[in-house]
Amino acid sequence: MPILQVKNLVKNFDGLEAVNDVSFTITRGEVLAVIGPSGSGKSTLLRCLTLLEKIDQGTVIFAGKTMVETSSKGLVQYAPEEQLRKIRPRLGMVFQSFNLFPHFSVLQNITEAPVRVGGLTEAAAQEIAFELLAKIGLSDKANAYPYQLSGGQSQRVAIARALAMKPDILFFDEPTSALDPELTGEVLKVIRTLAEEKMTMMVVTHEMSFAYEVADRVLFMDKGQIIEEGIPEQIFRQPTNERTKAFLKNFNYGSRF
Amino acid sequence: MISFGDSANFLRLFGLLGNGALTTLRIFYLTLLFSLPLGLIIALGRMSHLKWISSPLKFFILIMRGTPLILQLIFFYFAPFYMLPEGLRFSLPRFTAAIIAFSLNYAAYFAEIYRGGIESIPRGQYEAAAVLGFTKGQTFFRIILPQVIKRILPPISNEVITLVKDTALVQVLGISELFRVAKNESSRIFSTTPLFVAGLFYLIMNWVVTKVFEKSEKKLSYYQ
Repeated sequence: MPILQVKNLVKNFDGLEAVNDVSFTITRGEVLAVIGPSGSGKSTLLRCLTLLEKIDQGTVIFAGKTMVETSSKGLVQYAPEEQLRKIRPRLGMVFQSFNLFPHFSVLQNITEAPVRVGGLTEAAAQEIAFELLAKIGLSDKANAYPYQLSGGQSQRVAIARALAMKPDILFFDEPTSALDPELTGEVLKVIRTLAEEKMTMMVVTHEMSFAYEVADRVLFMDKGQIIEEGIPEQIFRQPTNERTKAFLKNFNYGSRF
Repeated sequence: MISFGDSANFLRLFGLLGNGALTTLRIFYLTLLFSLPLGLIIALGRMSHLKWISSPLKFFILIMRGTPLILQLIFFYFAPFYMLPEGLRFSLPRFTAAIIAFSLNYAAYFAEIYRGGIESIPRGQYEAAAVLGFTKGQTFFRIILPQVIKRILPPISNEVITLVKDTALVQVLGISELFRVAKNESSRIFSTTPLFVAGLFYLIMNWVVTKVFEKSEKKLSYYQ
């Protein structure tokens, strides 16, 4: 059953089509990797789906509810704000630059939204937070502040913060691109664990081997469009499109392939 | 030559200046009480995308920062009487006029400090709050404003210290604050001593202000 349906999504920036007529679906429990060159519209697509950007054309249906649709006359119509407010916390987002709240401790970074948005008690939120901290291996950092964390630790906390809202889908916008190479592993490990638990995820990434191993399906984007789509085996081993071939040629997969 | 004369004169001088200092302090805290929140409202309006809100506020800030505060004091005292048509004329009490002029003037400066602080917060903070489902109000008051306050404490402390000394300007309306009292006493007894003692009073007040800001900055230094 599709949890997210995207139809003919278009997003323009100053006359430039950042996302150009993109359609796809995500099924519950699926891990979808989005790969492609810089500026191909991957991040913009994620930002449209998490309501950080307004789309110019298209339809997005989340869990059977229309978030935004376009009439036959081309008029874009978002769902009423009260409905979007209910949807937003169900769409988790992990940013490239973490965006932790620097004035909150690690614990409060995680509990703030469940308490203020989700209406949980402080105690209930903390219980969830400690479970998540244990899961990401940072139980000892509950009272630390973001500036005291490494990049990898920050990103793991950011993942926990998103998970605390119990989202139906978790979006990752190049979650390891801001990290030193030796720190990417610890973040990818957490995402891998989530995949094993059947968390629905859409991951924009430059980590090809990670996409190959973890994703159920891969979208290759270029110039705002989905050029090729398929299971990792097919995209990475037998890409049919010339642009996909050219893009993947630049990556060295090592002995894994 | 600074001399305090006998102790009776000395006590008398301290009593006089102490009274003046109380008026100074009243102007000081009432100005802060009104201008700090007003400055925030002006800053938010100034940053509005709606031209009819931001443009007049930009003009207001230009006027308040671009003309002498002493002139603004005179304006708010005399304008309600001389600039209004007959029948609508009224006079504000001097002290009220002074507080209005000071509050509006300092609000303009504070507004620009707030704006600088708010605009220095990375967009990612708003985006992280938005995807977690925070309302605009929650985002501003729980996420953005606390970070803004930490960043703007040093420039705010500058303004607050200036305010302590600027209060001397209200003497143009004949209000007996610290400096006017000292000046009058100075000419009465043919001595500069009262003026130097008044200087000491200002210094002590600003020493307290400095300490309060040092403490606040320290309190907020738990994060970076």
